[in-house]
Formats: sequence, structure tokens, C-alpha cells
Amino acid sequence: MTTPGRTAAFAGHREAADGRPEVVFRYAGDRFLLVEYGPMEFDLQLNFRVLTVNRRLLERGLDGIVDTGPGLRSNLVRYDPSRIDPSRLIAELNDVEDSVPAGAELELPSRVIHLPIAFDDSRSREAVERYARSVRADAPNAQDGTNIDYVLAYNGLPDRQALYDEVLATEWWNAFTGFFPGLPFMYPLDPRYALFAPKYNPTRTWTAEGAVGLGGPCVAIYPVESPGGYQLFGRTLPIYDLAGRNAAFREDPILIKPGDRVRFHRVEEDELERSFADVREDRYEYRIEEDPFDVERWLEHCEAVREEADANRARREAAAEGTPVP
Amino acid sequence: MSELEILEGGAQTTVQDYPGRLGRLADGVSMAGAMDHFAFRVGNALVGNPASAAGLEVAIGGLRVRFDADGVIALCGTPVPAKLNGEALPAWEAVPVAAGDELRLRMSKGPGMRAYLAIAGGVDVPAIFGSRATHTLAGLGGLEGRALRKGDRLPLGPVPGGSRDRIGRSFGPVPEYPREWEIEVMIGPQADPDFLTAADVELLCSRPWLVDANSNRSGLRLEPFQLEWARSGGGIAGGHPSNILDDGYPTGGINMNGDTAVILGPDGPTSGGFVVVATIVHGAIWKLGQVRPGADRVAFRAVGLEEALELDRGLDARIAQAA
Repeated sequence: MTTPGRTAAFAGHREAADGRPEVVFRYAGDRFLLVEYGPMEFDLQLNFRVLTVNRRLLERGLDGIVDTGPGLRSNLVRYDPSRIDPSRLIAELNDVEDSVPAGAELELPSRVIHLPIAFDDSRSREAVERYARSVRADAPNAQDGTNIDYVLAYNGLPDRQALYDEVLATEWWNAFTGFFPGLPFMYPLDPRYALFAPKYNPTRTWTAEGAVGLGGPCVAIYPVESPGGYQLFGRTLPIYDLAGRNAAFREDPILIKPGDRVRFHRVEEDELERSFADVREDRYEYRIEEDPFDVERWLEHCEAVREEADANRARREAAAEGTPVP
Repeated sequence: MSELEILEGGAQTTVQDYPGRLGRLADGVSMAGAMDHFAFRVGNALVGNPASAAGLEVAIGGLRVRFDADGVIALCGTPVPAKLNGEALPAWEAVPVAAGDELRLRMSKGPGMRAYLAIAGGVDVPAIFGSRATHTLAGLGGLEGRALRKGDRLPLGPVPGGSRDRIGRSFGPVPEYPREWEIEVMIGPQADPDFLTAADVELLCSRPWLVDANSNRSGLRLEPFQLEWARSGGGIAGGHPSNILDDGYPTGGINMNGDTAVILGPDGPTSGGFVVVATIVHGAIWKLGQVRPGADRVAFRAVGLEEALELDRGLDARIAQAA
């Protein structure tokens, strides 16, 4: 790994050492510092490191750190320079890195949040139909009132059931939350099911609350009605409620935190609609388990299924090549 | 409790505060808050409010309100023709109001874009995630998370003890709002040589860029320009060299969406998959609130950290003069 360019944005650098990834500190104005981990590669282990170091940093309760925003392989630290000198902040961040050896992230505090999903639901179809009607009729991803057929084509899947099986077969790791309050960016923990889809072009103006979609390698749940760019394939329950109408939202209106995992189970749409109403009436109890994430076991699993994962990836890549991009 | 009655909401009037909604970056919560924090903070200081008090941000103008109790107000920001019961209202000055008084703002022709109405006691809507600032996209804060409209009634906090002593107090010299803005930035986080070429950085700071009419509190879009880019593509993150694996976004970041530059405003997204090539420093970010989309130009001047912090301290000192 070459040393990053020491120009104006450069605030510090740590070589990869003892199994720890390289770290680059970059200025992002005078109130933010961006901490980047490892090479720009899709590697969930970098995210595990981000979340572990982030937790240790926050535990220190340093005066002047306002908050932090983990990304896939980075952490954005917002600070108040009148309370902590930037050079001291960088020294503290280095110190936290020192204090977290490689392997410290082998067991991560995490929860499994079980959510029902109705595939090919009418609200997602409505969003796609509206898009085709009022934004772009010839979008290859929005034909026949659904994005699902496009996702199948792009991933080389034989039928809808195959897509649903993949979504249900893996836990989805919430690497970070952003774009919108409470919106989780989730990645499959089972590498065999690394679905991929290009995003809308241009974006969609309306998405239903609870819609579930795929953009790039990432699955997101829409916390509220909003615009969006992900290919929709189903709908789940509310994951955000400021009014705290359900016990799950009383302490915190945002359900899914970085480092949480989501496991979907399939329901029919009428059952989802009933549960949706029950959530509002506080008659639905979300199933949430404290379940530390065992990285070593995960790595073993990744290794065990590597051949199948590689074959699936090759199938997807071949299919993607012949599929038009929106 | 006294109330402020909205008789007309104007182009876009929202409840805002300073510094906005902090502490929830990891949950994807944008900071929102007064876009021109300088004028906003001066207004609070003039009427004797604590720095955290919420007030109104009036984009362009058109606001008409009625007070139902005696109080003290200050109007700061873009020059906008304003009348209190038909009499011209001086700007950047603590002015008394009486129960039944009506304040009317016409449309501002600029220069500048936003006026700020500070009211002694502050707008006392409930704080959401620690702030009263309105973030309309997320429907958070202010009144029902939206811009104000006719018929709304805003609760006001109790008038602080010293506010009446401040009547007649004014602030000056007031900031100048040019049509061509010089805005201080720090280069990065994703700049040269890893993402941009040295020539790209030079180009960014070489000339003023027109701010597109399609701009708002979430983002200010700049006229198109072509960067060379240091990378041929975004690698795993996408085909375009502006693509990266998703990072957190700093407020005030100059975000390259492909070859379109968008300055991330206070209501902008907290993260995304595009590079941020430079970031407006806190001591200059207030200018975004006064840049007029479709008319004004912005020129970026690269500064180092020390100059950025000095700029910020200078603003603090000026605001302290109003207190």
C-alpha cells in the first residue's frame, strides 16, 4: 500500500500492521475528520473494525467529540474545535486505534431483528407504476409495474422464488445508517447471496414506508415515505416512529442501529398489513434478540461456502453484462 | 403562554435553531438549523435570547405574523422591506412589539436570500433529537416538520429578564451580501492526489461558479464543469471516478455527483457514495444561506485549518458584540 498523498486534505496516516488495516485521517473542513480504513474494497471486516473502534472511541466520552457517522469502511467524526484541538483529536484517535488490536472485533455486540416481509407487494408495485407513468416509461428496471424481473435478470436468477429464497437465506448486516433518519444500509452476511442491482436513473419520487429495495450490493428499508433509487422487491414493518406508538420505538424512534442484523421471514401481504396496523396500535411485539456476532464463525462459514459464492458471483456477473443499465 | 400567529407563511418560512440537530450522525439525522447561522445568532444575541433559542428562517420573504403579547424582536439577514403595524421596521435591531402587533415582510430582492426573525423567549416547539430545527425532508422538528403556513400558531417561550433593556440596541456593521461570493473551503476529504489531480483542485478554486436555480437547504447545485480526475473509475464503487464506497458526508461538503458539483446544505444527506472534494469551513458556511440560487456565483478560496479556526473565532467575537 502506498502512502496517501500528503496534500491539504491529509491529516494523518497509520500503516497496516499486526493484522490491522491501514488508516488515513482526512480533513473534512474544520468540524469533521474522516477516518478511512484499508483499501477501497468491499470488505465487511473493515466495517467490523470501524464499528469496534467507533464504540471504543465513544466509550471514552471525550469532550469536544459531537458525534460520529460510521460508513462502510470509514468513520466521520464531528467535533467542536473550541473544545478539542484538532491535533489532540487526531492523537486521541491514534490512541484508540492503538488500543484496539486486530482481532478485538472478533465478537461484536449485535442484535438480530426479525422482520416479516411480503414480496412483490402492492405498495411497491404502486411506486413502480407511478414512476413509469410520471417519470420514465422506458426504464428497463420498471417494466410491468415491478422492479423484481429486472433484479432477476441482472442477477441471473431463474425465477422470483429464487430471489426470495436468497433474501430469506441470509442475515443482513446493517453496516451504517444514513441518507435519511433511520435508513439501514444492509449487506448479506452469507456471501452466496450477494445480490447486486444498479440504482434508478433518474430517481423515484415516491416510495412507501417499509419498502425494501436493492441498490448496488446493499439492501435498504425505507423508514418513511420518501423518494428513492433502490429496486423494490418487498415491504416490511415500520422501522422508525417518532411518535413512539409501539414499545419498540419508545426509547429510541430508530429501530435498526449500525451493527444490528436483520433476518426476514416471509408473510403474505394481508398478514403484513394487519401487523402494520398492529404496530401502530402497540399490539405487535417486534422480535429482537441480543446476539453477539461471532466473526470467527462467520469467517469459517465464508470459507466453507466460498466455491458456491464464487460460482454465484460468476453467474451474476455474466447475467449483468447482458442486462441494460437504467 | 404567548403565541405567534402565522397570517401568511411566505415563500418558505421554517423554525430553525443553532447549531441544529447534533448527536445523531450515526442514525442518519441531518443537522438542519439556521442556514445563515451568523445572522441567526446575531438576532438571538440582540433580543437577549440564549444561543439555543429557536427563531424563524424566512426564505425570500412574504411572511406575515401577529403577536399576542408584548415582546422584543430582531430582524436580521437579507434586506427585506418589513413593516410593523405599517411602520418601517429597522433591521439588525432589537425592537419592541405589543400584543396585537402585526409584522409583514415583503419579498426580498436581495442581495442575500434569507431573513431571520428572532423573538425574545424563542419559538418553543418541542425539541426532537435535541433540536427545534425544521428538517422538511424528514418531517422533523419545527411545527410538524414542515414550512409554516396561514393559521399556524407557534408557542413562544417566556421573555428573558433582560430582553426589554435591549430595545434600541443595534448591530453593525452588517455583513455585506455580494452577488459574487468568496467562500472559504478546506480541500478534501477526497482531493488530490488520491482522487483529484492538482489541476482539478486549482480549477475548483479558479473562478466563480453560478449556483443553479435548482438549489435549496439540502444542496446548492453548481454550473457544470469538467474535472480530470486522478482515477479512471470508481473501482468497486462504480464506473465513475466520483464513486466511492459510502462515507459520511460533512455539512458544507462539495459533493461530486458524477460531474455535477452539489454543496451539501444543512438538510443534506448524512452519507453517500460520492466524493467530497472540499468542505466549506464553519466560519464561512453561513454564506450559503444568503447565496441566491439562479443569480449568485460562488468562488472557493482554499484555507488551512488555522485560518478556518481564526475565521470562526472572528465570527464569535462579532456575535458577542451584539449580546
